[in-house]
Amino acid sequence: MKKTFIKTLFAAAAIAALASCSDDNDGTTAPVDETFNSELLVDFSTGVAQPTYTSLAAKTSTLNDQVIALTTDNATDTELAACRTTWKEARQAWEQSESFLFGPVAADEIDPRIDTWPVNFADLDAQLSSDVEFNAEYIDGLDDALKGFHPIEYLIFGIDGAKKATDLTAREKEYLKALAANLKELTAELATSWNPSTAGNYHEAFTKAGKGSKEYTTQVSAFTELVEAMAGICDEVANGKIGEVYVSDKPEEMEESPYAQNSIIDFTNNIKGVENVYLGKYTTDGKGLEDLVRAHNLDLDSKIKTKLSTAIQSLGKITVPFAQAVKSQSVQVQGAIDAINDLQKTLEEELLPFVQQHAK
Amino acid sequence: MRKGKLIKHIVLLATAMVVVYACVEPDALQESEYNEWLSGGSQTVFTTGVSAFSSSFPNLTVSRSTVHGIGDGGFGQTFVSAPAPVNPGLGPIYNNVSCTSCHVNDGRGKTPVNGEQITSLLIRLSIPGTDAHGGPKPVPGFGGQLQQRGIFGAAPEALIKINYTEQAHTFADGEKYSLRTPEYTLQNPYLPLPGDLMISPRLAPPVFGLGLLEAVSEADIVAMADVADANGDGISGKPNYSWNIALGKKTLGRFGWKAANPSVLQQTAAAYNEDMGITNYLFPLESSDGQSQFNGKYEKYDVSDSILTSVAFYIRTLAVPARRNADKDIVLQGKRLFAEGKCATCHVPRLRTKTDVSFPEVSNQVIFPYTDMLVHDMGPGLADNRPDNEATGTEWRTPPLWGIGLTLVVNRYQNFLHDGRARTLTEAIMWHGGEAEQSKEFVRTLSKSDRAALIAFIESL
Repeated sequence: MKKTFIKTLFAAAAIAALASCSDDNDGTTAPVDETFNSELLVDFSTGVAQPTYTSLAAKTSTLNDQVIALTTDNATDTELAACRTTWKEARQAWEQSESFLFGPVAADEIDPRIDTWPVNFADLDAQLSSDVEFNAEYIDGLDDALKGFHPIEYLIFGIDGAKKATDLTAREKEYLKALAANLKELTAELATSWNPSTAGNYHEAFTKAGKGSKEYTTQVSAFTELVEAMAGICDEVANGKIGEVYVSDKPEEMEESPYAQNSIIDFTNNIKGVENVYLGKYTTDGKGLEDLVRAHNLDLDSKIKTKLSTAIQSLGKITVPFAQAVKSQSVQVQGAIDAINDLQKTLEEELLPFVQQHAK
Repeated sequence: MRKGKLIKHIVLLATAMVVVYACVEPDALQESEYNEWLSGGSQTVFTTGVSAFSSSFPNLTVSRSTVHGIGDGGFGQTFVSAPAPVNPGLGPIYNNVSCTSCHVNDGRGKTPVNGEQITSLLIRLSIPGTDAHGGPKPVPGFGGQLQQRGIFGAAPEALIKINYTEQAHTFADGEKYSLRTPEYTLQNPYLPLPGDLMISPRLAPPVFGLGLLEAVSEADIVAMADVADANGDGISGKPNYSWNIALGKKTLGRFGWKAANPSVLQQTAAAYNEDMGITNYLFPLESSDGQSQFNGKYEKYDVSDSILTSVAFYIRTLAVPARRNADKDIVLQGKRLFAEGKCATCHVPRLRTKTDVSFPEVSNQVIFPYTDMLVHDMGPGLADNRPDNEATGTEWRTPPLWGIGLTLVVNRYQNFLHDGRARTLTEAIMWHGGEAEQSKEFVRTLSKSDRAALIAFIESL
C-alpha cells in the first residue's frame, strides 16, 4: 500500500539527517514504528502468505478432480490438457510461495515432499511394473523423489511434453491418481498451517513477533526472516536452479521441470514471489516492506523495484526451453544469473540493514 | 527446494576480529579479548530465523565460499536408485535420501508423532564384543545400523516402533511435570534378530559450528577429563577414542552422541554410507555388503571425493548464531544458576581453538559452545546399554548448547537428548542422572522463577 505523497515527504524529511549514514554510528536512533510494523507482519500473513498457499491448495484440489476425470473411463486429450494447465497454475502459486520458505513449509518438510528433484525414475518404473497398490498410505510412505509435482509432471507431460492421453497406461493412471490426492492433501495442510483459526498456526507465531511469539522473540527477527527468505530464493534461483545447470556437463538431465518445459516460468514466478513480499501484495495490496522503505528511503525503494523488474525482464529474454538456452542462449542465461544476483545483493546489503534499523 | 542458503557477509563487531592468542593460555584471557555474545568467535552470525544454523562463516574468501556453496548443494542433493542420470546410488537399504532430509535446515531431527514416518532418527545395532578396531561388533546380516527403508524391491531391515510411557514427576515446589520414556521395538525384521542384540537410537543433531569444535586441541579436551574423579566433585568426564580411517589409528572422538567419530570428514562419509547407502573413498563398501540384499552393483564411488570433501567443508564452515538477550536480568540470573548448579562443569561455556594456519577461519577463536566434548555417565534413565568404543552403555557426550534457543524457529519442534525424548529444555534437564544427578536435583528444588530464569539463559545461547 502506498502512503500519500505528503506523508512520505514528511517522513523522509524527518530522517533527512540519517540519509547519508548507513548506520546509527552518529548516535541517533532510527524511528521505529512498532504499530505499523505489526500491521505489516499481519498484512504479509493475510495478504501474501495465506492467499498464496490457499491458491496453491485450490489449484491442486482442481488438479486432483481433473486427474480423477482423466483416469476414469477413457482418457481424452482434452482432459489431459486441462490437467496440464492446472498443473502449471498450481506451480505458479508454489513457485511464488518459495520467496517465503520459512515456517511449516520448511520445518514440517512439506517442501521436499511436494517438490523434490531429481525423480527416482528407476524406482518409479519398477513400481509401475509391480503390483503394489497405490493407496494413500503407500504414497505417504514413499520417498520424496517419488511423489509431488515432478513425478506428476512426468506422467502428464511425458518426455518433451509429447504424451498423449492414450499413452497413459492403467498403472500410470493409478499412480497419477494417488499422487494428485497426496499433493492436494499436503498443500491443504500447508494452507491450514497459516490459517489463524488452526491451533498452533504460524500466522500467530509470525505476526505476534516480539509480542509473545516463541519463534520470533522480537519484531526485527520476523523482518529479518522475511528479507533473508527473499534473498535466499534469489540465491537459489541464480546459483542453484540456473547456475548449477549452467555449469553442468549434462544440462538436459539437471533441469528441474523439464517435461512441462516450465523452468523459465518457474524462475520468473520465484522472483515475482519476491516482488509480492516486497509490495505486500498477492491479489490485494496491503502494507508491505515497500511502504516501510518508502517512508524513509525513496532511493532504496526505486532501486529495489528497478532490480526486481530487471531480473524478471532478464528471464524473459530467454526464449527457448531452459536446457537448450544453456547452450544456445548462454549470454541471456548469464544475464539472468547476474541480474538476480544483483537483486540478491541489494536485498542483503541494503534492505536487510534497513529493516534491522527500522524494526526492533 | 531450498538448496542454497544465504551466504552471509555480516560485519562483525570490531572487538571480535581475529586476535592472536597463540602464546596465551586460556585462563590468561582477559575479558576484553572475547565477547560472550559471539558464541562462535569471529565465525558468529546475527541471524535468528529459519536459516539461523545455515549461514556460512562470515569471512570466507570468495574461493572458499564457492567450495562452501558446492558443499551446500551436495548437502541438499537427493539420491535416487541407480541407474539414473543425476545422483544415482541410493541404497539398496538406507535411512534417508539426502543429508538435509534428516538435518532439516541444518538443524535438529524430529521424533515421529501420530504414525508419521521416522525420518531423522536412526538405530545403531551391535552384539556383545568389539570389532577389529575396538568399535561395536556389527550384527550379522544387519551391520552396525538399522536401515529402515529400501529402494523398490529391497526390504527394510526392520521397522521401528516407538512407544512412549508418560511418568508424572513433581518439582520441590509442587509443580508437576511429565517425562516420556521411549520403548523401541523392531518389527518385521527381514532376518531373525539375535537375542543378545543391543540398540541405540540416535536423533540427527544440528550440524553448525562443527569446524570450530574440530579445531579445539586434543590436549585441551583431555585436560578437562577427570576419569577417576580425582577432584571428588562427582563428575568425571572421559575422552572417547575411535578408529580414524584416514589416519589408520585410534584418535580422540569428537562427534556423534557418544563422541565416537574423530572428524567431520569421517562423520560425513559414514553418514553417506550408512544412512544413504552412498559409497565413498573412506567407506568404499555398501552398507549392505555381505548381506543377502546386497545387489552386487559396484561401479565407482557413489559420491565423488570432491563432493564429499566439499560437503565436509560446508559443515565445517557453518557459522554459529550469536546469543540473544544475553544482557537481560532474567538471563543473567539464569547464568548464575547454571554455574551454581554445576551445569557448567560439563557444559563448559568457553573453549579456545588451536592455532591452525591451514584453516585460518577456525584458528585461535574464543568460542562458547557449552560442551567439554567428553562422555559422562548419565545414569540408567538415559542409558542405551550399548558400549561404543570407550564409552559405556550409560555414557553420552556433553552436547553443545550453542544455538539451542533457536531450535523452535529453525525446526518448529523441540526434541532434545540423543533420541529426542525431551519435548522441552526443562524435560531435558530433568532426564539428567548419573554424574549430573546433583545438577538435576539442584534444578528440582529451584523456585518457579529460578527455573524460568535458568531456561531463559539456556534459550539465550
